[in-house]
Amino acid sequence: MSRSTVTHQGGNSGNEASAALVEVCSVRLGETWFGVPITHILEIVGAARPQPVPLAPGYVGGLVHYRGDVLTTVSLRQLLSLPPKAGAQDILVLESAGGCFGLLVDSVGEVLTVSASDHEPNPSILDQRRKALFAGAYKLKDRLLVMLDPERLDPLLLSQAS
Amino acid sequence: MDELTREFLIESQEGLDRMERCLTDLETRPQDAALLGEIFRSVHTIKGTTGFLGFKRLEKLAHAGENLLGLLRDGKLVADRPLITGLLQLLDGLRSILKTIETEASEGDGEDSRLIEELEALQAPAHVHQPARAHAGAHSASTAAPVAPPQSTVPSAPPQPAVVAVPAQPVNAHPAPAPEASAARAQPSPAPAAGTAAESTLRVDVILLNRMMNLVGELVLTRNQVLQATAADPNMTLLSRRLDMVTADLRESVMKARMQPVSNIFSKIPRIVRDLSQSLGRRVRLQVEGQDTELDKSQLEAIKDPLTHAVRNSLDHGIESPADRQAAGKDPEGTLKLRASHEGGHVVIEVSDDGAGIAVEKVRQKAIERGLITADRAAQLGERELLQLIFLPGFSTAAQVTNVSGRGVGMDVVRTNVEKIGGKVEIDSRAGKGTTLRLRIPLTLAIIPALIVRSVNQSFALPQGSLSELVHIPPELATNAIEWIEGAPLHRLRGKLLPLVFLDRMLMPAEEHRLITERDNFIAVLDADGRRFGLVVDGLADPEEIVVKPLSAVLKNIGLYSGATVLGNADLALILDPGAIAMKAGVTMSAREDSNDVEEELDANARGMDFLLVEVGGRRAAVPLADVLRIEQLPASRIEYIGYRPVLNFEGQLMPVDDSGGILPAAEADPDAKIIVVVCREGSRHVGIAVSHVLDVASGADLFEAGTSQRTGGVTLLKERVTGVVDLGSVPALPATETSTGQWNQIAETVA
Repeated sequence: MSRSTVTHQGGNSGNEASAALVEVCSVRLGETWFGVPITHILEIVGAARPQPVPLAPGYVGGLVHYRGDVLTTVSLRQLLSLPPKAGAQDILVLESAGGCFGLLVDSVGEVLTVSASDHEPNPSILDQRRKALFAGAYKLKDRLLVMLDPERLDPLLLSQAS
Repeated sequence: MDELTREFLIESQEGLDRMERCLTDLETRPQDAALLGEIFRSVHTIKGTTGFLGFKRLEKLAHAGENLLGLLRDGKLVADRPLITGLLQLLDGLRSILKTIETEASEGDGEDSRLIEELEALQAPAHVHQPARAHAGAHSASTAAPVAPPQSTVPSAPPQPAVVAVPAQPVNAHPAPAPEASAARAQPSPAPAAGTAAESTLRVDVILLNRMMNLVGELVLTRNQVLQATAADPNMTLLSRRLDMVTADLRESVMKARMQPVSNIFSKIPRIVRDLSQSLGRRVRLQVEGQDTELDKSQLEAIKDPLTHAVRNSLDHGIESPADRQAAGKDPEGTLKLRASHEGGHVVIEVSDDGAGIAVEKVRQKAIERGLITADRAAQLGERELLQLIFLPGFSTAAQVTNVSGRGVGMDVVRTNVEKIGGKVEIDSRAGKGTTLRLRIPLTLAIIPALIVRSVNQSFALPQGSLSELVHIPPELATNAIEWIEGAPLHRLRGKLLPLVFLDRMLMPAEEHRLITERDNFIAVLDADGRRFGLVVDGLADPEEIVVKPLSAVLKNIGLYSGATVLGNADLALILDPGAIAMKAGVTMSAREDSNDVEEELDANARGMDFLLVEVGGRRAAVPLADVLRIEQLPASRIEYIGYRPVLNFEGQLMPVDDSGGILPAAEADPDAKIIVVVCREGSRHVGIAVSHVLDVASGADLFEAGTSQRTGGVTLLKERVTGVVDLGSVPALPATETSTGQWNQIAETVA
């Protein structure tokens, strides 16, 4: 994973501008790019093979060993009803109110700095499920970056929803 | 809250705990000067410090108590029952104020004048001198002055010089050695008493200890991985062995740091017994044994309530009123025994009374009345099973609901709490003779021995505690060995039907699974809270010491897993919960009776019926199955020698290995060689037998000498062949066996 040079400089001049800038980690799932605010990311674990948990709810991607603890992961593919991917996946370790959990994605891209003014809320034509998971999108020059809300991906919350 | 106040709160709590212990002791030894001195000191210290911190309400109450205690200590009053009750009230009063300070950082505005008046009224019977002199003396004795026992000839002896470092204590009748010891090990006792103890101990935050425990758990995992990774490399053998030892030592030390004597919770019991026996009109003598047995702090916390509940039950339902007891020809004073001891890898806490016992018929009726079981079912149950019913939620036999117990939330809570920390509850009762409740608590919480099994292409950990034996059914035998009643699989284990649960079908009900005739089947015979069943898995891996990691709530809710762990090969494995599996599969408690039968049958086998058939260096030999604890497969390099005698080292515990077949020298030439050691019980020690192969289990038949028709010893007829029986007694003892036998039991957490 490469980290792009961030244009944002927290210096003397840019106080106003920096308030409107958000740093987002981009992750890929199939052909779609999603964004997760880096403030919620504890760590990125590459090439992980989670251990499946029989009888667990479908969105649970399995368990991984993370810093002495056993981390429950949520499979974004499962959540979006995409076919499972064979082989290793990357994991974003996210922090939420209920503790830590991992988010399984195909691969992690770069950290982007986006401007809050480019943000738009979820379009009304999205299905209910996606509306619940997505937190709007940023209009980048060449593509859209769909934002994920880590709080809404918390496995405990998902279990209550389902 | 500032540091000083916090310190004060902790110290005062400890002081009051000591005071409580002493007060209950005082009832039996009202003249004991050391006890009185100790109680006086606790209150005096509180009073001294409160004045300094400005807690006026606390000071006033402590002062009133001190006056009374001063008179007592100087022998002007006798500690009779009402007086002790008054002092206990003082204790409660002080506690509640301390609690208020802790939660609200102020004393609150409660009114203590009634209690103070009572305490003053209690001074009255002194009717000799007014407290003036006595308590003036007490005042001048600063906190640093340990209180000397008064000589009976001089009623108001002046306090001894304040330079004595150790409190004067009577040589013969030490009031309570255990509390003293416990205070010295983890907490500095109140400043004046023991300077030396305070210097060599320090207070450690439990959170830090928990963190250390977690880290040690990590280290154990890493060690397991390093050991597996380096097993093949002879250069690493020494290093990894050293790592193994250091890790084991470190783990033990950290665990020790968390240990506290059970006296910490036992000390609350005398007060409960005293209060309850008074309110219930019972006469009870409390006997406490094994107070210095140690348990992990969190486990102590967890069994505090169950223990209290068990004691309440004994007093309320167990021990009869003095009149009833006399009528039954018993001593009017009942006995309640509290006993803690080590037993294998467990600490056993026993609460036994010599009361009325549990009337099994009443239990039966009650269970039917409450709709817990049907009348038909109840009629079939044996005595032991009926006793188990009292652990069902919503069961209570108290004819009358009292405020002591009998609210219908009794024994099931005891059981749940104990099971939560991996323990077990057993009950034994004889009508008219008494009841014994046994809490069996595992020594460690976080690290447990487990068998790693394979199913659905994954590893799972099965706690050894509930595993009683393993049965292998190869594909060609599966059709006969596994029988079906209407879709329910069963296995005939020594003539009894054992319900089977297929792990793969339970975990992945939607998928097709390989037929039992196309794969190896391993039945792990489990006993989970009296539910006996066989769990069928596709494969077995090694037993491992696993570190239990908690699961997130979502996965806990599945209910089949009690945690997860990281294996030596860095794989993750889910820890199966045998009780939950049994419940989900619908295996019922009724199996309890069967399991007893099997045990009895095993005893019968010990008389020489079943043998483990092994091959030792080309010969067939038989080992009595009842003596077999487990079978280990390990690298030949694990064998070490004392002189020429081969031994195995299990974390510092040595076991002699018999190598009459000469297998070891041959194996040692090859660094990768694995050897098989059958671990057997011989008397109270364990011995290993090195064997080439383990062939089978079979029943032996007696052989008789031709002509004399006398039964021959040392041989048996196994599978139609005359086979020699290994003489375990002939394995020479280790030099230090005498002292180490007790510890052997600890590694004998077995499959046998």
